[in-house]
Amino acid sequence: MNELARLALDTAAARGAEYADARAIEFTREDIQVKNGEVGGLDLSGSSGLGVRVLVGGAWGFAASDDLTKEGVETCAAQAVAIGRASASLKHENVRLAPEPAHHAVWASECAIDPFRIPLERKLDLLFRIDAEMRAVKGVKNAESFLSFQRKHQVFLSTEGSDIDQTLTRSGGGYTATAVSADDVQRRSFPQAEGYHQALGYEFIESIPFVANARRIAEESVALLTAAQCPAGEHDIILEGSQLALQIHESVGHPTELDRVLGMEANYAGTSFLTLEKQGKLGFGSKHVNLVADATLPHALATFGFDDDGVEAQRWHIVKDGLFVGYLTSRELAHRVGDSRSRGCVRSDGWHHIPMIRMVNLSLMPGRGSLEDLLHDTDRGILMETNRSWSIDQLRYNFQFKTELAWEIRKGKRTRLLKNPTYQGITTQFWNSCDFICGPEEWKPWGVTNCGKGQPGQVAEITHGTAPARFRKIQVGAGYEA
Amino acid sequence: MLGGGTEALTRFANNEITQNVAERRYLLSVRVVQGKRTGRATGNDLSRAGIARLIEQASDATRLQPEIADLLPLPGPQEYRAVDALDPETEALGAEVRAREVGRAVDRCREAGLEGAGIYEVRAGTIGDYGEIGALALANSRGLFAYHIGTSATFRVSALDGTASGWAGHESHRARDISGEALSARAVEKALRSRGPKPWAPGRYAVVLEPAAVADLIQDMSWISFGALLVQEGRSFLSGKIGHKVMGENITLRDDPFHPLQRGSPFDAEGMPTRPTTIIERGIAKSAVYDRQTAAKEGRESTGHGLPVPNTYGPMARHLVLEGGEGSVDDLVRKVDRGLLVTRVWYTNVVDPKTVTLTGMTRDGLFAIEGGKVTHAVRNFRFNQSVVQMLNGVGGMSSQERSGGVVCPGLLVRDFHMSSATEF
Repeated sequence: MNELARLALDTAAARGAEYADARAIEFTREDIQVKNGEVGGLDLSGSSGLGVRVLVGGAWGFAASDDLTKEGVETCAAQAVAIGRASASLKHENVRLAPEPAHHAVWASECAIDPFRIPLERKLDLLFRIDAEMRAVKGVKNAESFLSFQRKHQVFLSTEGSDIDQTLTRSGGGYTATAVSADDVQRRSFPQAEGYHQALGYEFIESIPFVANARRIAEESVALLTAAQCPAGEHDIILEGSQLALQIHESVGHPTELDRVLGMEANYAGTSFLTLEKQGKLGFGSKHVNLVADATLPHALATFGFDDDGVEAQRWHIVKDGLFVGYLTSRELAHRVGDSRSRGCVRSDGWHHIPMIRMVNLSLMPGRGSLEDLLHDTDRGILMETNRSWSIDQLRYNFQFKTELAWEIRKGKRTRLLKNPTYQGITTQFWNSCDFICGPEEWKPWGVTNCGKGQPGQVAEITHGTAPARFRKIQVGAGYEA
Repeated sequence: MLGGGTEALTRFANNEITQNVAERRYLLSVRVVQGKRTGRATGNDLSRAGIARLIEQASDATRLQPEIADLLPLPGPQEYRAVDALDPETEALGAEVRAREVGRAVDRCREAGLEGAGIYEVRAGTIGDYGEIGALALANSRGLFAYHIGTSATFRVSALDGTASGWAGHESHRARDISGEALSARAVEKALRSRGPKPWAPGRYAVVLEPAAVADLIQDMSWISFGALLVQEGRSFLSGKIGHKVMGENITLRDDPFHPLQRGSPFDAEGMPTRPTTIIERGIAKSAVYDRQTAAKEGRESTGHGLPVPNTYGPMARHLVLEGGEGSVDDLVRKVDRGLLVTRVWYTNVVDPKTVTLTGMTRDGLFAIEGGKVTHAVRNFRFNQSVVQMLNGVGGMSSQERSGGVVCPGLLVRDFHMSSATEF
């Protein structure tokens, strides 16, 4: 891999590239699904290839190929240079890369038990036990469970002298019970919607009480069919951790991506309300709100040694004591916010796609107290759990989420199961209404594994650590008004 | 199954090229069937040794798993109708040509004092929007062989003046059908009219949806409604409603890869021929789309809408065609006394699957219609709207366009629920 990447750099430089980096990647993935007592999917997949990124005439070119012969690599690098020249025909200024030392490093995520060495029978046995628990509950229409394992081995070489070898292993799984009536479809998922993943080996799977929760989750899916409709109107709401993780992702993560802020995603995902003059001035949230970007968070999905710009992983505040203070940046754009060094947020989802600014792990720092303390402090409210749908405008102001279930809270107690809870708000009003964040004992690293961005579309995985939190006077019930 | 091909995409923003990429990528997926067991392995090492390794991996996975009671044997040879979808000029279109076309689009934005952003993308083969790879060629040990290759060219442009924006897009299997300059002119015109939007109160309005907006809503409805497995499991609004009137009599919706604006693959991931399938005919639910498994359950034939087997999702409609009318979107606007013109919608997601209630935002040009004329820009809304209910009250249709893989007209609809406002 190293030789291939070196050949790509040499070819690009010989053809006039001012800067080049090459990423050679081997990717392995195993996906196993069980549905209603049968194997629903079983695929062991892998791919290898090379992505070459160049600066020519001050503009970017990128080409990727799975032809890893000498000729294939040279053709790919030459194509990247030709594309760069075409880009240079329509540019304002030369791309300027913020300085970064050349790094020589080998980095790997922690993996005590290699998930690819665990026999398939053992994985299927776990899924079938989960499946049986869920299907033991009368009224469950679909019981669906999965395990997913991924390993990415990447060599990054740049003409500035970096030579970085990184291996990321991640494991995950989850399940969903679906109950159906003539006019309703309800579902419950565990541990969160879309499964729960971390950058660990099979030991992570063994640490999660999958089977122990399966019957309860299935029972809740059936109970939701006859539960009361979540009442519409203005309510104090408490968001459980995994829903809050997605709230952070959509309303804090994406609008702080500097490429979005500067208009580079304008035609697709949109721009951002967090324009440059707001940095250090905007009261993003209440004083309780501290949001930290952290590419060093142990076992997290967007933790790495170095990003795909070759920049070392970092940790910094995005929101400090409620004040908006930081962006997610790259070597190309750091100078636009007066930074002399990139924050190291550039990633690609494979050898075949160009690296771009992607969220690193972004977490809400814990406050104080347990969830029971928070409930005890709540006279009337609605506790919402597990995401079911999400939507936000292209500047990231107006969002609407639906969760799988909610509990009516009266005088500190869960009094009634509620179905179809939705809530809607405007980002800064919402975060400014936050008046209680639970403490470290409730804080967990949740994950998002389906974050789409860019064209061609790329999918990123990110961890968001959260503890349950309360938000005052939030509009509830959109889509289910009487 | 062999899939993949080439993709090249020039991305521009702030009136300059910001990303410019090309990829070549193929994947081979080998499925082994042994009695009632099946397993799959996928890779891109297409050497003899690499292929042998895939077969070994798939065989191992197959041996180790329990039987699937209703697993079907592999299908035998099939016959396919050819689809003329490959345009060699598009396949060979280089970065310089894309940059020139983008340059012409950017010029129109710059002349108007606006910032242009967008894409010019060309593909040959089966690389999807998020890098997923579909079937280019399928062969099996029972003698089935299928092959189809197509090209696509897509140009999309936004013109921006701060938070005021306009948008236009076009897609075809031929790059020469695309004029970045003409699309940019449309986006510019929209952006200029989008300045100074007035806040309107949330509520129910008569709305003219341009084809790009309709396409997004129809596509989302399809994902949660038209596959036979969804219908059989009771999760679709069509469950128990086949043969019943579910929409207005002016609604006819098909899945048809042979439509001249679609030119999709004539076979599915099982190798079954894809048949044009009428889903809704004059408001009456006629049929879901089927793969072999769901068809066997009902004793009928597959319509050729299957995904790679095994899967938990069931079949999927992939070439939607909503019948339209004769006139233009402007003709629809003339029918509205007071309402809104929606250029496109954004970030749609499902709120309620059985009523197909979707939420999403208006984007890149929301305008007031007063007395049959577009009068001024309006601040964007979030909507929460049942698409089924919407299609029960269509008061007019324009001619069809293709947007996001869906062929559909613009629609005039009543009582469209704009549920909350945003800040721009």
